[in-house]
Amino acid sequence: MLDNALLWEKVGHSEEAMEEIAGVHRSYAQDVWFRFRKRPSAIGGLAAVLLLLLFAGFGPMFTGHSYSEQNLSFVNIPPRFTAWTLPGGSSGVQEYAYITQSLKLIRVSGGGRLLAAIPKAGDDAQNKRILFASSNASSSNAANSQGLVAIDYSDKERGMVLTDEAGKMLPKKRMLNKSYLLGTDSLGRDLLTRLMYGARISLTVAFVAAIINLLVGVIYGGISGYLGGNADNIMMRIVDIISTIPLTLYVILIMVLLDSGFLSIIVALSSVYWVSMARVVRGQILALKEQEFVLAAKTIGTRSFHIITRHLIPNALGPIIVTATMLIPTAIFVESFMSFIGLGVSAPMASWGTMCNDALETMKSTPHQLFAPALAICITMFAFNFIGDGLRDALDPKLRK
Amino acid sequence: MLEYVLKRVATMFVTLFAVVLLTFILMHSVPGGPFTAERKLPEQVERALIQKYKLDDPLYKQFFDYLKGLARLDLGPSFKYEGRTVNEFIREGFPLSARLGLLSVGFTLLTALPLGILSAVKNGKWQDILVMFIATLGITIPSFVIATALMYVFSFRLGWFPVFGVKKLNGYVLPVIALSGYSLSFVARLMRSSLLEVMGQDYIRTARSKGLSESAVIIKHALRNALIPVVTILGPTIAGLITGSFVIEKIFALPGMGVHFVTSIANRDYTAIMGITIFYATILVAMVFLVDIFYVMIDPRIKLGRES
Repeated sequence: MLDNALLWEKVGHSEEAMEEIAGVHRSYAQDVWFRFRKRPSAIGGLAAVLLLLLFAGFGPMFTGHSYSEQNLSFVNIPPRFTAWTLPGGSSGVQEYAYITQSLKLIRVSGGGRLLAAIPKAGDDAQNKRILFASSNASSSNAANSQGLVAIDYSDKERGMVLTDEAGKMLPKKRMLNKSYLLGTDSLGRDLLTRLMYGARISLTVAFVAAIINLLVGVIYGGISGYLGGNADNIMMRIVDIISTIPLTLYVILIMVLLDSGFLSIIVALSSVYWVSMARVVRGQILALKEQEFVLAAKTIGTRSFHIITRHLIPNALGPIIVTATMLIPTAIFVESFMSFIGLGVSAPMASWGTMCNDALETMKSTPHQLFAPALAICITMFAFNFIGDGLRDALDPKLRK
Repeated sequence: MLEYVLKRVATMFVTLFAVVLLTFILMHSVPGGPFTAERKLPEQVERALIQKYKLDDPLYKQFFDYLKGLARLDLGPSFKYEGRTVNEFIREGFPLSARLGLLSVGFTLLTALPLGILSAVKNGKWQDILVMFIATLGITIPSFVIATALMYVFSFRLGWFPVFGVKKLNGYVLPVIALSGYSLSFVARLMRSSLLEVMGQDYIRTARSKGLSESAVIIKHALRNALIPVVTILGPTIAGLITGSFVIEKIFALPGMGVHFVTSIANRDYTAIMGITIFYATILVAMVFLVDIFYVMIDPRIKLGRES
């Protein structure tokens, strides 16, 4: 008999410790987040989208205007303008005046707030002047300070200037529009508020369309990939046919059919754009279903539905998420495109596309109406594209070691 | 090869048939007839119109009549303009759109390919970063925003190009740039990534170790294979450029097909919408077909027939 203690040497604790894995365990989600946040563009995109959500969700509470409220005396006012000093400021607060494009005069406070239209006192066509009664409405003796000012349009080179009664040019200064931060549109509606409501429309359309496309695409692609054979063949031929047709044309046709509106944009978008998702899912499933773990699941008698939902789809989640993220900018683009050609949400609702479309005709005189929505579209597109790119790199299994 | 071509022709016709069927069903499921207007027509007139356009026939018969018309390349009469046909709309609008599209195709290829190659060759250097930055802009910014921005800067502010119309040749410059923005960026990116992938392969190392100059390696060895993926997407790209100009035409007020299409939508001119959609789809399908054939011809790795 041999003594065990002689034959076998005891392993010390120190060697066990050497075998231990020192690194912190990271779950898959943490892993993805770790790689995602290393990309400045992706983080920037994420921040932009969060800001956009705040802007759309809570912004309208702070502007003090509603998207449909019209103020026809304050039409087409830019966010920055030249204000002319009104005479007779000695009585109290200095006030200014802004000349609108339709040759009206608006009283402006020193801080840049629009107060009211100044009543017209008469035309002086001979001297190419329009007279206005600039008397300070708030002062008690209105009759006394009957100061007249005039818009002088006699000199083409100089443009329109505001003069006092004697024809002397009044001092001017640039100021920011405090009443309407981004100016007003051709019906005197606040552009900032409309931009926020536009963001609501665009984002809702985008998210809802992306979710519906995700569901339809995943179900269709999942079934097609899992069944394989003839069923797969037929289902994929249908997808091929749908995708050879220019999709925008079909969105347009569906919009014509359903009459333009918020809901029909979603229906149109989600009835057409699921094909790319279906392709991606089908390709993934096709590759995954040959693997051993699926065979194992089958051997123990798991139902097909369970195999698809519990084993195959979770394994294909990376590409699915990336495709879904990329669907969002597509949806925003198509929505703004549709609105731009006049098939979008109907007035007085605003979407970025309809705002661009409204502003197009007066682009030369009021470019601010075009810049704001166009910039909003661009920023949103960038943000979602960057997030999509970041996610693709973070989720790509090829990069995982 | 012949077998493949025949098979592709067959699928092409199946696709086109599906397009026709789908558009037909969509356009005929619109509630109300094409002559229901705010102003009620006298009953006899309405009946006469319906009889004239054979709208009282059963739907399948209307569909076969429409198909027969299509076989004779006749897209039928317009519902909104008395005595005008959809073919006339296309004849009026298409030449301009096609010219715009072909110029854009040329512009895309002439700029995107060199830029993509430059970007791949200078991988990681400032040229690469600059080109990819521009390409990202081109992909993310919608064409109508590009178009309006170009118009504002170059037509209104600088006055270099006319605001609208193509009476003078330089009227084409801005529309072409705006129209090709997306495809240009897309092709440049694809060219870059495809060339980068090819440059990492063994036969490129072989070519280099033979002592070939870098330009010879790129032009003679790498480029040929790198161009294949680019060719694949040329079909949809070309078709998209030829047909995808509604917005550009609208912004620059060019009387092309797109304008007719948008007006038909606004007028609810169903035959015109249907006809133009089918026309667009045909161009697209035909382009994809041609490119597929061309693709098989240039790529020696694709073997058809027995193997597949």
